[in-house]
Amino acid sequence: MTDPFLRVSAATKVYDTRAAVRNLSLDVHKGESVVVLGPSGCGKTTLLRLIAGLERPDTGEIWIDGRRVAGGGRNIVPAHERHVALVFQDLALWPHLSVSGNLAFVVGSAGMPKSERAARIHDVLRVCRVDPVLADRYPHELSGGEQQRVALARALVGSPRVLLLDEPFSNLDPDLRGALRQELGTLQRKLALATIYVTHDREDAAALADRTVLMRDGAIERITSPDR
Amino acid sequence: MWGWRSSRTVVLSAAIAAFAFFCLAPIAFMIAIPLRDSSRTLAPYAALLLDARQRGLLYNTTILGLGTALTATFVGVPLGLALARMALPFKTGLRIALSAPLLLPSYVVGLAWISLGGGTGILTEGIGLQVPSEWIYSLAGATFVLTLVLYPLSMLATETAVRRVEPRLEEAGLLVATPGRVLWRITLPLIAPSITAAALVVFVLAVSEFGVPALLRVRVFTTEVFTAFAALYDFGRATVLAMPLLLLATFVAVLATRLAGERLVVTRRGHVGGQPVAFAAWQRVAAGAAACVGLVALGLPLALLAREARGIDSWARVVQGARDAVVNSLTLAAYGATAVTAVAVWLGYARARAPRGLGIAADVLFVVLFAVPSTVVGIGVIQLWNRPGIAGALYGTNAMFVVVYLVRFVPVAALALAASLRRVPVSHEEAAAVSGAGWLRTMSHVVLPQIALGALSVWVIVFVLAFGELGASVLVTPPGESTLPIRIYTLIANAPPAEVAALALLQAVVVFCPLALMGLGLAAKGRR
Repeated sequence: MTDPFLRVSAATKVYDTRAAVRNLSLDVHKGESVVVLGPSGCGKTTLLRLIAGLERPDTGEIWIDGRRVAGGGRNIVPAHERHVALVFQDLALWPHLSVSGNLAFVVGSAGMPKSERAARIHDVLRVCRVDPVLADRYPHELSGGEQQRVALARALVGSPRVLLLDEPFSNLDPDLRGALRQELGTLQRKLALATIYVTHDREDAAALADRTVLMRDGAIERITSPDR
Repeated sequence: MWGWRSSRTVVLSAAIAAFAFFCLAPIAFMIAIPLRDSSRTLAPYAALLLDARQRGLLYNTTILGLGTALTATFVGVPLGLALARMALPFKTGLRIALSAPLLLPSYVVGLAWISLGGGTGILTEGIGLQVPSEWIYSLAGATFVLTLVLYPLSMLATETAVRRVEPRLEEAGLLVATPGRVLWRITLPLIAPSITAAALVVFVLAVSEFGVPALLRVRVFTTEVFTAFAALYDFGRATVLAMPLLLLATFVAVLATRLAGERLVVTRRGHVGGQPVAFAAWQRVAAGAAACVGLVALGLPLALLAREARGIDSWARVVQGARDAVVNSLTLAAYGATAVTAVAVWLGYARARAPRGLGIAADVLFVVLFAVPSTVVGIGVIQLWNRPGIAGALYGTNAMFVVVYLVRFVPVAALALAASLRRVPVSHEEAAAVSGAGWLRTMSHVVLPQIALGALSVWVIVFVLAFGELGASVLVTPPGESTLPIRIYTLIANAPPAEVAALALLQAVVVFCPLALMGLGLAAKGRR
């Protein structure tokens, strides 16, 4: 087995006196899709925020592509230098920017030459099956499904090395949810990203997981590999 | 839910009638009287526009407003961002200290800076040049002093706006961009309407200000209105001079309300999960800058006044001499705060439960009335109340101070209380109604207890504002009666600076005592 692309090693995060994540270790390989299951408040979202660099682990380490990005109680590599994309549960599309503006902010921050940005945005919107006529619309002008696709496009446009998804389909109706789940699976395999998908839906897990991690009270209770 | 015959109709009608009589009528009267009087046609207004002297006034007034709005925004916005997004040390205390200058009477701050840079100020005498004196007695000096008094508005508006920004939006940016870029491209555009609205409110308050321009001898409309009425006894001229100011204040207040929209009465602090970690890198710089601003805006003025006041021969004599004015001020401010809160709580309730369109119209009206300059309020009150009959019997008594406080502070108190009341879900009232409670019982047992702290805060703030009110009070003050601000204002020209400084310091102490109590109350609530 090759070295893991993402490694969380004995990470602990305590809020006030409550441990959201307790001594948690997890390896994810390149191209692997890990689904994290568990009840509300079990620390799933905190785990993603630690990997993304939005929270600092109190103890333990996080490694991405052989580089220690957090350890010794501090974030060594800031969030914007980790090349990690996160699709938030509420999507967090910037309301004052259009669809293309949302994506342009990402590629602009990455220092992509202006001449290449439009083509890159167009390509990613196409991959995520976002209708090009929506590019100039604002988030509030989109349907729920369109917003999900745009959020995914925004996550992918910066060519991340790790993709984190925090229950991104939780507010959708079952039909749309199933369709998007399939598309995400196809994309994830095509781009060979190390992916962690947080959910409490077992259907999501069955459809997307190479491995399923069951969390409880901030710790991993069980890891399984469902038949695919 | 509540029928037209319920006690709700009676109480709200009474509050709206009181608002119309006390707050709207003086302003409406002032506008209507000159137009009704055939001897005063529109000619004076035309003359006003053509008069070079008036154009100079307009220039000074506009520069004072613009300069103050820009500098207050420049100082207040970074502080608001820091308070909202960084774990600064002693944050609650820092917020109170940085907000305190807003409640310190502006002329008290002006007096402090005169003691530093005035003709006989420490700095002026220290360097042996009149440069500081020339600067402080200028438009730039007045702008500087008003910035120190009004920047907290910009700061608090920014903090509130940033707290309303969903942290996920910034976090999504922080995954791909530096904190600076996220701040510039994500956070600031999202809060820009609030910042602009606050800048417009600062503009209105600066052009409405009387105390500082009067003290620093800067000729603006408010001082000219006062001179026309108090020195020249020219009521017509005072009224005509008040009109451009009224129009300017109205225009800008409407603009600010449109920009702020429902934000004026929504104070949701939808912030969970702490500050995005990346902003932590700027904490030390922000804490240092905040401490510097607090020092210049609050610490230094108080220290300067204390130093100046050391020159008095006896504190006892000064306090004894001002005792009646202090007692008068305290009593009248307490009556005023009680009356204002009693009217504003029902207006705030009506606003909070009003349909959206009507609610926004009410916001515009409240903001416009709050923006009416104090000297203009004074003229309006005199025109309405100085007449034979019951009104005339009250005119010439201390009751006029309370009337002035009602006119000036009911609108802003109603806005603040509407914000508190909006946080009480309508379902709480509905639950009480289906349980068989009448409206009054629902209000007294369900709604008002939930906003008790908000109402107390409004009372304290109105008390502090009323205690420092000068521009309108100085016009309606009955013969032989005085409040502390009026006594200070009249002593400036006739008494040694040390005595004036001592009284100003006394005033600051009285202002800060209830504020400190309020801060302790809020801190205790926070701990619970």
